[in-house]
Amino acid sequence: MGFLKGLAAVAMMSLAVAAEARPSAEEVLGLDTRLALELTRHTPTTSPPVASRAFAYLYVTAYEAVAGGSDDLVTLAGQLNGLEALRPRETGATYDDRVVLQAALSAVMSALYANTGPTGQRALARMAERLAEGVAEGLPPDVVERSRAQGEAVAHHVLAWSEGDGGAVVENMGFPMAFDLPKGDGLWQPTSRIVQQQLPLLPNWGGNRTFAMPDGASCALPPPPAFSTEEGSPFLEEAREVLEVRRGLTDEQRAIARFWSDDPMLSSTPPGHWISIATQVLDAEDAGLERRVEVLAKLSVAMSDAFVGCWHEKFRFNLIRPVTYIRAHLDQAFEPLLITPPFPEYPSGHSTQSGAAAAVLTAMFGEGFAFSDATHEDDGLPARDFPSFWAAAEEAGISRLYGGIHFRSAIEQGLEQGRCVGAYAVGLRTRL
Amino acid sequence: MVGLLATAAQAEEPLIPRFVEETARSGVVSSYEGDWEYMVGGGVAAFDCSGDGFPDLAFAGGTSPASLWRNTSETGGPLRFEPVVSGIEFAAVTGAYPLDVDGDGVQDLLLLRQGESVLMRGLGNCRFERANEPWGFEAPEAWSSAFSATWEDGADWPTLALGTYIDAKEEFFPWGSCTDNLLYRPEGQKFAAPMPLRPSHCALSMLFTDWDRSGAPSLRVSNDREYYKGGQEQMWRLPPGEAPSLYTEEEGWKYLRIWGMGIASRDLDLDGYPEYALSSMADSKLQTLTQVPQDGNAPRPDFSDVAYPRGAIAQRPYTGGDVRPSTGWHVEFADVNNDARPDLFIAKGNVDQMPDFAAEDPNNLLLLREDGTFLEAGLEAGVASMEVSRGATLADLNLDGLPDLVVTNRRTKAQLWRNTTAEAGHWLELRLEQPGPNRDGVGAWIEVRLPDGVHPREVTVGGGQAGGSMGWSHMGLGGAQEAEVRVLWPHGETGDWETLDADGFYVLSPDTPARPWTPD
Repeated sequence: MGFLKGLAAVAMMSLAVAAEARPSAEEVLGLDTRLALELTRHTPTTSPPVASRAFAYLYVTAYEAVAGGSDDLVTLAGQLNGLEALRPRETGATYDDRVVLQAALSAVMSALYANTGPTGQRALARMAERLAEGVAEGLPPDVVERSRAQGEAVAHHVLAWSEGDGGAVVENMGFPMAFDLPKGDGLWQPTSRIVQQQLPLLPNWGGNRTFAMPDGASCALPPPPAFSTEEGSPFLEEAREVLEVRRGLTDEQRAIARFWSDDPMLSSTPPGHWISIATQVLDAEDAGLERRVEVLAKLSVAMSDAFVGCWHEKFRFNLIRPVTYIRAHLDQAFEPLLITPPFPEYPSGHSTQSGAAAAVLTAMFGEGFAFSDATHEDDGLPARDFPSFWAAAEEAGISRLYGGIHFRSAIEQGLEQGRCVGAYAVGLRTRL
Repeated sequence: MVGLLATAAQAEEPLIPRFVEETARSGVVSSYEGDWEYMVGGGVAAFDCSGDGFPDLAFAGGTSPASLWRNTSETGGPLRFEPVVSGIEFAAVTGAYPLDVDGDGVQDLLLLRQGESVLMRGLGNCRFERANEPWGFEAPEAWSSAFSATWEDGADWPTLALGTYIDAKEEFFPWGSCTDNLLYRPEGQKFAAPMPLRPSHCALSMLFTDWDRSGAPSLRVSNDREYYKGGQEQMWRLPPGEAPSLYTEEEGWKYLRIWGMGIASRDLDLDGYPEYALSSMADSKLQTLTQVPQDGNAPRPDFSDVAYPRGAIAQRPYTGGDVRPSTGWHVEFADVNNDARPDLFIAKGNVDQMPDFAAEDPNNLLLLREDGTFLEAGLEAGVASMEVSRGATLADLNLDGLPDLVVTNRRTKAQLWRNTTAEAGHWLELRLEQPGPNRDGVGAWIEVRLPDGVHPREVTVGGGQAGGSMGWSHMGLGGAQEAEVRVLWPHGETGDWETLDADGFYVLSPDTPARPWTPD
């Protein structure tokens, strides 16, 4: 009771304090999830694609740590690309599931967030230390040792698998030191006055190994409207729509744009936002551990694949951003509400990954599942209510138009791409 | 015609200054020690505590005691200092700012601390005593990280702003735990109970500055986005006698979120309004008013970032081969080559083994060109230190008319460089002295009129990274052998223009001619 109460007081954790001294496995997962969301925000490397990858490996680790001791869950080995069978638990030996999970999460998090700064490193170390002490309390030493070794084995297996996916090493915060930037009408050009962002973020991310879908090209999109400056052309009309919406932005549209802004280093990023949504929904239904890791694993896998697929298309079409086009052809003084991200426009990354998230969560919780999202209350943004996951995804998508950083086609096609990507994660078999 | 072209061509590139490191022979031994609780701070203050006119130095020591070093340099000679047992030798000091709180003509010293900050009353001859109680300075047990001071209109006692950082007791989730910044207003000859400046967003630099030339300074606060939630850069309006209020987006203030580490101000384009340099990680900002008002209208607090087009950038090391992004800390303008154009120094260094950012991160010395852009000259000037730097000062330590350089480093010795630039331009060094309170004229504008326009400089306390200077205001004059000078005294009169010969020190007081001063 003592350590958890203290931890709860310090951390202001939302989870109920357990009646016994040891933290429950759900509490371990909850605290580490909260820490992962903070580390995502506070580790400069973790731009949205990188963050999505980290979440996927984190929750596949959680899932496999739990599945290894479950009578119901089925391993994802053989289903996820390149994931080979994990070391099974020793038959007849006693394991403690909390210790296994805690050890697995601490080990995988210290690797996935190795680039975090001194405060993050300090938090990681203290959290691992305190949770390890807590879950081991009152257990026989041999059980603790065996369980810890099993958890760490799961983590190391997943980390070894992660090394070969193309996204393990991210330098210069994801901005290439050199890149042959194509030039021409309608092509992306830098939109930022930050030197580092004169080249696009992670131009090769679309070639990374995916988790559940075959590869980055699996959910290809039709081309965006052809670039044009002619009156009446679809491209000009879409640009004019962004401009007119910006000029007449309502308070509600502004609130929506800010709510889904999810800027890297200022939030837990778009995938972190959906992890937060899933966690809130799971908390609301007081979900058990197996249900939690099942949902989080499928969700995070879908979002990571979404970013690979989205980036594949972004650099295939390499489309100009609204701010560049509008200033050149419609209104020199145009200022988007949101910071324009430093990479090509089509499709919208938030839309793709929100579509993928909605596909998974709808499959897991059902159509028309209403929920409230208080992800950004700490940042002073009030909770928003949604009648369904798809309603939330569509609002996330249109928020990019309100924010002045995407054309409508990028949003609509992004959501469709997400639906396609999400279906692969939905198709993973998790139950016997 | 050929000669004119050659002159123009030469004018495009500024004179590269020459700095000679004199750390070892200077006698100064100070390093900023400590672990996580000391990842920010590490300031140095330059001010004259001995009364001889030469700037002395006070260093924050982190877990080591703060230290004070008396300047024993000779005019134009090597930098020499000797340690003084001064009374400031506290542990847990993160920064130091000099100011004459009680107007007795002796500089006092604010010590920022990990814990209770302390106001030290100057006793003369570089001796200090704690004055929190007699002056009513109620400092919280906090991670103090920023400071600024001003004298509000009609006040005979200063108003202080104390910036604080995160709650160090938060082991697991320190993010979002920013503690209150505090405003101390006068109550007679002491401070009233502090007023929290809410919301507070983990300030790492504060500066009272008369950004709109209204005569009533506002408080700029640069905040570390690493730790706040719902935060941004801030500027507080402080109407005398009224509660402070934040400038808003509706008024023009931009929603800017950076790893704010330091603030420096100077009018670079001679439009009468200061530009602001903000140090950060991966890049720095250089802000200028988006629209300079015409016909006497007040400007909107709407600033545009021009760091990139003007080359005032510090995004990654420019030498040494480490290509990861930079981490900027102390930032300060000083005309290091006396070409009448303020140059920009940025101290840099990794927070603490932060893998995403450069470990070998040289300090920047950005020389302002005639066309308003900057030229990086840190390496050529000899100040491209790869130590993990934090604070700095560009005071003229040997009173030869050239700003020297002191840089503090984390876990290793502070470094001192003497500016030995040959063929530098002419200069003036000016010190304000007015009777009664606010003897140093904090809030005044010193204006120097040269052929290319009026060069204004605001007298401030605050900004930088956890340290500041008080004393001589250095102004480069380029080729001018004399210059017209006047002072716009805070909340008061505008002095007359007075022509002063170059290359000299002058004490400026209201209603009296400038008084030449010569080092003994």
